[in-house]
Amino acid sequence: MSPFRCSTGQVHSFPRNVFSALSSGGLLAYVRCFNLPSRASRLAITTLLLGTAALRAHPEIEAALTRLNSAITAAPDDAELYLTRGDLYAKHDAWAAAEANYLRAAELAPSLPGLARSRGALALSTQEFTGALAHLNEALKQSPTDAEALILRVGARVALGDRGGGLADLEAALKLLPSPGPELFLTRAKLHVAPADAIASLDAAIARIGPAHTLQLRALEIEEANGFVDQALRRLDTLARQSERQEIWLKRRGDLLSRAGRHAQALEAYAAALAAVERLPQWLRDSPDSVALAAELARLTSANPPSSS
Amino acid sequence: MKLARIVLLISLLAGPSLQAATTVIRGPYLQSATPTSMVVRWRTDNTEGSVVSYGTERNQLTTTAKSEGISTEHIVQLNNLKPNTRYFYAVGAAPLMPPVNPNAPVAAKKAEAEDAPGRASVSSFTTPPPVGPAKPSRIWVLGDPGTKNAVQKAVRDVYYKFTANRATDLWVMLGDNAYPDGTDSDYQRAVFDIYPETLRTSPLWSVLGNHDGKSANSITQSGVYYDVFTLPSQGQAGGVMSGTEAYYAFDYANIHFICLDSHDSDRSANGAMMQWLKADLAATQRDWIIAFFHHPTYTKGTHDSDKDSDSGGRMNDMRAIFLPVLEQGGVDLVLTGHSHVYERSWLIDGHYGKSDTFAAATHVKQKQDGRADGEGAYRKPRRRTPNFGEISVVTGSAGHASSKPVALNHPAFYLSLNEAGSSVIDVDGAKLEFTFLNDKGEKRDWFTIVKE
Repeated sequence: MSPFRCSTGQVHSFPRNVFSALSSGGLLAYVRCFNLPSRASRLAITTLLLGTAALRAHPEIEAALTRLNSAITAAPDDAELYLTRGDLYAKHDAWAAAEANYLRAAELAPSLPGLARSRGALALSTQEFTGALAHLNEALKQSPTDAEALILRVGARVALGDRGGGLADLEAALKLLPSPGPELFLTRAKLHVAPADAIASLDAAIARIGPAHTLQLRALEIEEANGFVDQALRRLDTLARQSERQEIWLKRRGDLLSRAGRHAQALEAYAAALAAVERLPQWLRDSPDSVALAAELARLTSANPPSSS
Repeated sequence: MKLARIVLLISLLAGPSLQAATTVIRGPYLQSATPTSMVVRWRTDNTEGSVVSYGTERNQLTTTAKSEGISTEHIVQLNNLKPNTRYFYAVGAAPLMPPVNPNAPVAAKKAEAEDAPGRASVSSFTTPPPVGPAKPSRIWVLGDPGTKNAVQKAVRDVYYKFTANRATDLWVMLGDNAYPDGTDSDYQRAVFDIYPETLRTSPLWSVLGNHDGKSANSITQSGVYYDVFTLPSQGQAGGVMSGTEAYYAFDYANIHFICLDSHDSDRSANGAMMQWLKADLAATQRDWIIAFFHHPTYTKGTHDSDKDSDSGGRMNDMRAIFLPVLEQGGVDLVLTGHSHVYERSWLIDGHYGKSDTFAAATHVKQKQDGRADGEGAYRKPRRRTPNFGEISVVTGSAGHASSKPVALNHPAFYLSLNEAGSSVIDVDGAKLEFTFLNDKGEKRDWFTIVKE
C-alpha cells in the first residue's frame, strides 16, 4: 500500500465506533462528566483522574502511561506529551482524563499540531457536536489537507443537520486518501438522498477500489428496494460471476424476477441455481445448507407459475 | 576534451561503486501469495529501481519483474508463476549474480550461490499449490510476538529447530507484531530484524493488533501497519473481495483462511466486515476454515473476556457478534492473541456469553483431549456442517508470557498455560494437527481434528 501521512505526520485513530455510529445514523451516547473550572482545580482533578484511570487500565496501557508520566515529570511543560497522553486515554474511552490532558496541552501550546483534531474527536465522542465542529474547523484551518479531521467533521456536520456539508467533507477526504476502505464509500452512499445518486457513488467507488463485495451488495439492495430491476439483475450477474458458489446469487436473481412478475425468467434462474447446487462437490452438496437450498429450489422449479409478462 | 574524458572515467568508476553502496535494510519479504503470483517487498537505504530477478534454478535468475520509478520502498509482484513450484530470486536494480562457472564442482557452485547478507543474496520460495486439492501444509502461528526480547528469539529458535528442514508454507501473525506502538522502527526491530530467514522464504499474513493500531488506521487504510503489509484486498488470493486490507481471506490448498480486524474496523452486526464475512463463508468450497483475529472470544489470561470494559468491549463483540456467524459457517479453528498466554478449548459451539454461562453439557461437542495418542482426535464430518464445533486457541505468547499470576480458569478451555511459545498447524488432507511449543522447546499441547 502507498504510504499515507497526514499533514502533521501523525496517525491517530478515530474514536471507537464513530463509523459504525455514523453508518447507523447517530453517534454513540457518551456522557461528558465534568467541566474544569480553573487551572488549579483542573490539575488537581487531573492528577486524581490519572491515578484512578491507571488503576483500571490494562498492563500495556499502564506501561504506556508509566512511560508518558515519566516523560511529563521530566518535561512538565511539553504540550506534545499531554496531547499524546490525552490520545491514549481517548483511545480507551477515558474521556474525562483525555480532556484534562488536552486542556493542559492547550494551555501550554494552543496551536499545537493535532490538538484541535484530537479535541474535536473527543467532543464528537461525547456528542458535543457544536464544540466538535469548532475544534475541527480550527484543525482544518491549521491543516486543510488533514483527511482524518475532514472525516471527523463529517460526523459533526451530519449530527448538526448539515448533510451536504458532511458529504462535501467526505468527498474532500476521499480525494486525499490513496487507499480508502469500503466503509467510507458506504458512508458516502448513505449521505446521498436520491437512490440513483447513492448507486452512482457506489459505482464510482467500485471503479476506484474494485468490486468489493460490500459495495456491490449495498448497491444491489438499493436497486432492489427501488425497483431498478434490470440494474439489479446486472449487479447479480456480476456477483455470481465473482463467486465460487453461484447458487445463492442465482436464487436471489430468481426471487427478484419473481417479485417483478417475470416468472418464466424466475424459473430459469431457479433452475440454474439448482444446477449450480448439483455441480458442487458432494461433501458441500450434502451440507445442511445446500440440502435445504436444493429442496427449496426444487419446490420453486416444480411449481407452475403463469408465463412471463 | 580531456576534462570530458576524466568526467566519463569518474562516472564509469563511480557508477558501480554507488550501486554497490545501496544496501537492503529490510527484507526481502513475501506477501499475498497465490498459486501464480507473489509480492516481493524490500527496503534499501538509497533510492533505486525495484527489480526482482528470478527463476526455477538458483544460478539462472533469467526472468525479471520490476515496478516503475525509483524508491527506497520496493514492491514488486511476480506473475505467471507455476503453482507449487520453487523459485529462486534476488532483489535489486543491478545485475545481482556473477555467472556461475559451469565447470566448477557442485559444492563450489552451491557455496557461490549461498544466501549471503546484502543485495547479492539469493533466496527462494515455493508458490502455493493449486487451490482446492489437498497438500501437506505447515503453518506457523505467532501471537503478539513483537517484544524484541530474548523470549521472542527463544520462541523463534524453538520453532526453527522443530521445523528443521520442513519448509514453512505460510506463517501468520495474530497482531501486536511490534511493541510498543507499531511504529516503523518497532517493526524493523521486532519483525524484520528477528525473522529475516522466514520472511524471505515464506509468505507472511497478518492481522492488526491494538499495538499495531497505535500507528495505523483501518478506516483510512493508513499508517505503518498498512504501509508494511500488502494484503489481498481484491480477493486475489481466494475468497470474496473485501476491498480492504483490514480484513480479507485467502486460500492455501484445501484451507480457507479468514482474517478479521477485531481492533479498528466496524464490528457491528450490520457492518461492512460482517456483511463481507457472511458472503465469504457462503462462498468458500475449501475443506478447512481457519479464522484469525487479535482479540480472543474467551480468555482468562492477561485479559479477561468477562469484563465488558477490557479492550473496549472488543472481546465481547467478537464472541457475541462474530463467533455465531463463524460457527454457523462451519469454522474449524479460531486463532487469537492479545492475551499473553496459551489457552485451548475442547471442540465447542454456541457459547456467546460470559464464562459463568458456559455449560459443558451444552457447549462442549466433544470432550476428549483431541490427542490421537490420548483420548482420541476430534472428529467432524467432511460435509460443511454448521455449528458442529470448533477449537478456539488463544496463542498470544510468542513475545512473552504474563509476568504476573493470571487466572487461567475459563471453563471453555481444555488447557491453559502461562508460557511463552508459538503454535504450529499441519494440515494433510482431512487431518489437521495442532502443536503448541513453549520457549523451552517443549511440546506443551497438541490435538488433531479429522474430517470424515
